[in-house]
Amino acid sequence: MHIVVLTKPVPDPAAAAERLGPDMRLDRAASPAVVNGNDEYALEAALKLVEAHGGEVTLLTMAPPGGADTMRKALAMGATRGVLVTDPALAGACVRSTDEVLAAALRELTFDLVFSGFDTSDGNAGVVGAAIAARLRLPYLSNAAKIEPEPDAGLVRVRRITPTGYDVLEAPMPALVVCTQVLGEPRYPTLKGIMSARSKEIASRSLADLGLDGARVGGAAATTEVLDSRKPPARGATTVVRGSAAEGAAAIVSLLASRRLI
Amino acid sequence: MPRFWVVGEPNADGSISKLSTEVATLARTLAAAAGGEAVGVVVAAEPDRAAGELAAYLPRVVAVADPGIARHAWSVPAAERVAAVLGDDADGHVLLGAGPDGRDVAGTLAALTGRGVLANATAVRWESRLVVEMGAFGGKLVTSSGFKTPGGIVTIRPNMVTAEPSAAAGVVEGRSPAGDAALPRVAVMDSVEEAGAAAPIEEARIIVSGGRGVGGPDGFELVRELAAELGGAVGATRAAVDSGWIPYSQQIGQTGKIVKPQLYIALGISGAIQHKVGMQTAETIVAVNRDPDAPIAEFADLLVVGDLFDVGRALLVALRERTG
Amino acid sequence: MHPVSIPPSGHRLTDEQVLLRDTVRELADARIAPRAADIDRTGEFPEDIRRLLADHDVLGLPFPAEHGGVGGDLLTVCLAIEQIARACTTSSLILAVQDLGSLPLRLGGSPEQLARWVPPLASGETLICFGLTEAEAGSDAAALRTTAVRDGDDYLINGTKRFITNGSVAGLVTVFAVTNPDAPRHRRLSCFVVEVPTEGFRVARLEHKMGIRGSPTAELELTNVRVPAANRIGEDGDGWTLAMRTFERSRPGIAAQAVGIAQGALDAAVDYARQRKQFGQRIGEFQMIGAMLADMDAQVEAARQLLYTACEVIEAGAPDAARWAAMCKLVAGDTAMRVTTDAVQVFGGYGYVDEFPVERMMRDAKITQLYEGTQQIQRLVIARALLGRGD
Repeated sequence: MHIVVLTKPVPDPAAAAERLGPDMRLDRAASPAVVNGNDEYALEAALKLVEAHGGEVTLLTMAPPGGADTMRKALAMGATRGVLVTDPALAGACVRSTDEVLAAALRELTFDLVFSGFDTSDGNAGVVGAAIAARLRLPYLSNAAKIEPEPDAGLVRVRRITPTGYDVLEAPMPALVVCTQVLGEPRYPTLKGIMSARSKEIASRSLADLGLDGARVGGAAATTEVLDSRKPPARGATTVVRGSAAEGAAAIVSLLASRRLI
Repeated sequence: MPRFWVVGEPNADGSISKLSTEVATLARTLAAAAGGEAVGVVVAAEPDRAAGELAAYLPRVVAVADPGIARHAWSVPAAERVAAVLGDDADGHVLLGAGPDGRDVAGTLAALTGRGVLANATAVRWESRLVVEMGAFGGKLVTSSGFKTPGGIVTIRPNMVTAEPSAAAGVVEGRSPAGDAALPRVAVMDSVEEAGAAAPIEEARIIVSGGRGVGGPDGFELVRELAAELGGAVGATRAAVDSGWIPYSQQIGQTGKIVKPQLYIALGISGAIQHKVGMQTAETIVAVNRDPDAPIAEFADLLVVGDLFDVGRALLVALRERTG
Repeated sequence: MHPVSIPPSGHRLTDEQVLLRDTVRELADARIAPRAADIDRTGEFPEDIRRLLADHDVLGLPFPAEHGGVGGDLLTVCLAIEQIARACTTSSLILAVQDLGSLPLRLGGSPEQLARWVPPLASGETLICFGLTEAEAGSDAAALRTTAVRDGDDYLINGTKRFITNGSVAGLVTVFAVTNPDAPRHRRLSCFVVEVPTEGFRVARLEHKMGIRGSPTAELELTNVRVPAANRIGEDGDGWTLAMRTFERSRPGIAAQAVGIAQGALDAAVDYARQRKQFGQRIGEFQMIGAMLADMDAQVEAARQLLYTACEVIEAGAPDAARWAAMCKLVAGDTAMRVTTDAVQVFGGYGYVDEFPVERMMRDAKITQLYEGTQQIQRLVIARALLGRGD
């Protein structure tokens, strides 16, 4: 089986150092980059499947050149190789450019499945998977709690989370699946995995390599722009109530009533 | 004339989703400010009920009856039908709920129509153009963004808008599905209901949440009772979910859901950053904790220092006394 | 309590070292830290942590890749020890002693010896310990009395070793014994790898200690333990040199442990100072507390940077490696003791009770001033290097 996992380097949420630059774009230098957390769940699902069925996992990322370093951890988890699409023209690219570029890169690959994480911690859009599937005319299966490919039959079965439980979806492969955290905790890279990652291949693709025009795809062609940013309004001071449980309960009821919540 | 299209999401039982009524209310407000029109689109095998309900919020709703859709995953065929309805209205904006189905449609529609996408909006205004507010970086910043394409797609978080029906119900226009079904349909082999599956917690107006302090699955009984008494949903921290006391679907925080209810009651929750980013924009935050110095003390409106079971039971009593 | 940890800077580390360090750090935070208090309380060797470290290749770090190890250099091994020690000193000792115990073998073993013993050590399924110290030979290690007498193709070893970390859980014991009683002082000893259990080998007792309570510190009795000559590392009389060369690489490991303990204590103290309120404000904002934290931070970072420099210098083959090893261990050990003591002070009364980890960290820190050569021995080594006397 060949599974391509879409990964994105994002500012490390744990470092809490994200900020916008003067150009209203994410200041990527301000914060160390890590693999987007939700992408690790997608990668873990892919690794488990190729361990069970045999095969390889390729990482696909669109990022500035530093994206190769961030890919190392994902390679250390066990992915076979990486493909990095990087081009100066892509700075400031929006969602539409992202899905067009990734779709173009995927057209160069042969795969059974494409996995995408649920959303990203630095943008939360969660729409890129659907857009790529539409561009490539791939069956689209989202909100996956369980993924069961049947390579011999050339199809994949997915449990999609619904408000009442789940639906069982079935589609022929190749297909694109959006993964959720329910699929299982990502493994730590083993230290051997980290050492072997240094010799794994990361192929670089520019826009020209993909036959794309930087003027049509990339920051210059962004479909959205940030107009301004501000801090959220500060919350008021905290009222602290000590005393008996009854007094505490009374204080809560009083607050809820005053705000017409009950 | 600016047009604001609302893609309505039908529930499994054929009714219109609560989130769609919120989005529709927003669309109406925008249309009024822009001197434009707000129109709903409902795509389903049998759309009439959902379309009729949505028409209470919009002057016009297009109902597309697509019988084939019943056996397939909804979002892709729905997006194709919506794209056909949009037709050559390249300038029209499309508004959807930011739930799993809404964002699926948003992504597919973006590829089909070339529109930009602004997702998880917390507010949308009209100031000669659409201005979309979103939270960034775990809530540290609020950004205002706009589209550089003529029409854009916006997904809207639950609970950002209070649904309000229009003064008079709108009309429903039935239409047959148009356009080629070019994108692959995914078959639904089975629909399984799970006991304890709850409505999406992001849509709850009131959430009562339990953390490590709840101590075990039995402790969550109290959390459930309080939630029920307040007409709210049950939430949890990662610690509680990892310990197996409550399903992952109720997890709130960095690795769970982000919620903005009107009321968030945190029982035995320290308020560490991983949980905080999931609920810090709730309008009213009440915390019960033994530790007066827990991080949640810094951003709660009210902190009751005490044992969560004692205070929780006293609160249940007090609430029941009010309702008589 | 959820300690806030100050993200470590990686400015002189390679990306690979940063990734290795961060992986061990995450593992330590998620799987080892929650066990630390229990390990200390019960005083039981944490077999689950040993397995965790083995499964994640951490115990393979010091060993060459050709024999199943990870092939980490000295700095990399120290990075791992430091991150584990932040969470639990006892657990960090499992890696540190796997490194220490196997150093004579790695430094002086033949290809056959390496091929035979390194694979199970690298996989972590076998632990190894360092059998040098005796009741009457601590700082004065050359005065040890265990003998190894040639008997045909074997040696017979007799003697008692004291204070041997992991002595009761190891499958291999690196034993130093007198083979040449009449030779000059530094040619009297030889070094053997003893596979245990074996006839005549007995764990006589375990110590009850102030700290590192989950680490078994054993007294080992060897009574006519028969060991093939093929188990001798290097030549007859090479033992002392092997021990000295070992310390050049093992002392940084202890320095790393000390830096880790100090950082863990600092993190806990900072977290506490951010949250604890007295007199209407966070105690971290009082100058006396803030000054303590500032000094602690600067001292830990200084100890860390000296350690990293020492690792680089020693790995590069510096002729005064012994001086660097002694310096980094001296500074780090004293720093750990000072910082953990101050950490307890920041916590006030709460620092004295086991609800918070700093009292354990303070008890754990003390050993870093005592083993692998006392601080006084470290000073002797440095002074001799400065004054020009060989060791």
